[in-house]
Amino acid sequence: MPREVEPSLNEKQFVLQALQENLRLDGREIDQYRPLELTFGDQYGVADVTLGKTRVLAKASAEVTVPYTDRPLDGIFTIATELSPMTSPAFELNRPTETEVLLSRLLEKTVRRSNALDTESLCLIAGQKCWSVRVDVHVLSHDGNLIDAACFAVVAALRHFRKPDTSMEGGVLTVYTPAEREPVPLSWLHSPFCITWSFFGDQGEIALLDATWVEEQIRVASCTISLNRHGEICQIAKLGGTPVDAVALLQCSGVALTKAKEFSTYLDGKLAEDTKKRNKGGLLAELSAENDR
Amino acid sequence: MPLDTSTYNLALLRVDGRRWNELRRINAQIRTQAAADGSSYLEMGHTKVMCVVTGPSEPGPRRGGVVGSAGGAGGGGGQSKDAEVVVNIVIAGFSSVDRKRRGRGDKRTLEMQSTVANALAASLHIHLFPHSQINVSLHVLSQDGSLLAALINAATLACVDAGIPMTDYVAACTAGSTSTYAANDESADPLLDMNHQEEQELPGLTVATMGDSDRVVALVCESRVQISRLEGMLVVGVDGCKQVREILDRVVREKGRRMIDEGTVEKGTGLNDMDVD
Repeated sequence: MPREVEPSLNEKQFVLQALQENLRLDGREIDQYRPLELTFGDQYGVADVTLGKTRVLAKASAEVTVPYTDRPLDGIFTIATELSPMTSPAFELNRPTETEVLLSRLLEKTVRRSNALDTESLCLIAGQKCWSVRVDVHVLSHDGNLIDAACFAVVAALRHFRKPDTSMEGGVLTVYTPAEREPVPLSWLHSPFCITWSFFGDQGEIALLDATWVEEQIRVASCTISLNRHGEICQIAKLGGTPVDAVALLQCSGVALTKAKEFSTYLDGKLAEDTKKRNKGGLLAELSAENDR
Repeated sequence: MPLDTSTYNLALLRVDGRRWNELRRINAQIRTQAAADGSSYLEMGHTKVMCVVTGPSEPGPRRGGVVGSAGGAGGGGGQSKDAEVVVNIVIAGFSSVDRKRRGRGDKRTLEMQSTVANALAASLHIHLFPHSQINVSLHVLSQDGSLLAALINAATLACVDAGIPMTDYVAACTAGSTSTYAANDESADPLLDMNHQEEQELPGLTVATMGDSDRVVALVCESRVQISRLEGMLVVGVDGCKQVREILDRVVREKGRRMIDEGTVEKGTGLNDMDVD
């Protein structure tokens, strides 16, 4: 199994020394994110998120299937993550590394277990037909903080996604094509965002947001907090590593909340912008009988 | 929800009759397997866990198969300058009520393995054992909530038994909060050490701290909870960890005393200042 190249001793010391003096290699503040950029694809449900040099593409899709027998009233919702060798030579196909397992677990806990998507609304005929919504996460480039970028991409893709409209008449289920009826958005309950803190120093006393890949390789511990803008924590994961003071963790969660609110406003703005672009002139323009002569 | 915890407000007693700040009975033993380097058995209420530690030893052929790869801090292959902590968790089929079969690749188990490994690595002096591997294998015999906490505690005890140098005990326990996330009342009480029923219904988190300090090694929360509740839950959890640490320490000292009494070990010079008996 090929291994990631570690930063050299000099590089490590340089980064650490700079951090002790409150400086980061790229000149950011301690709690500043790299420029976050979100672009939607031409299709519904494609979100491309870049965070500095980290780039993640998420694509949502839906199909009609049979629900699980133990949950006849729920639809199916899966998040599939794939770290391909394109991202880094340390990742191999069909052999999930620890990074990949933890990433998919975190996304699962953040988005799926927190009931961000109402799976009951995906049920079409109880026990027979339901929607299966699937989000594929592709990591195109890895320069640290994969988790935050991937989570943002998944939430953006799902909120942008439209599934075909359906109707039930006399026990007959009809799925309409986009030409027949405008596709409908998913029933979305809240938008959770992951915010990852990285800790440095012997006592874990330096806390950073949005670590780059070099910083990530040097950090002694990390803590991912997922919350929505209402201040509801969906998940916290500090999975071992150097111990960090409990009070510091509480402060981190406070800052994380403001960041989650910023993400939320940014995403809402982008979604509104996209809707406007797709819907030129709105319903009035569509209903108007006027023609250009 | 099948269980009704709304009665808590009437008597301030939980479903199993505890007060909010009471731990369940913790019963632990160390050196349960004679053949192993270190071993322990731990019960937190009805959660029962067994742990066996082998090592520090030469990395086995399973992971050390790749020769000539560059040394890395977190990497396998035994080429690193730190010892590698490898944790393996087996959840017995009969451990819970519904007898669910969990495969080897179950992500929840993999996540717990990595959490236990990283939490232990924070306390163990792994830099003393380059090119080696510490194998921790955990067996879950019975589950009744606070599984991760029990696993961490059992692993700590087994490492103590194995005589691997470590900074302090890594003690873990869970904390929860009455009433679910939807009810936004300020009067919600924090709860210590949740059992399976409470875990199903109430928000909660697992905390692991380093010894007597307030420093958090692991913090895992998997349920939706208001951010304002976090502080209360964390305080109660950290306090519970200190109680757990006392219990673990008592277990170790008790075993040491008995071994001296039995004559298995000589009473060392350093032991004079210890309260033996």
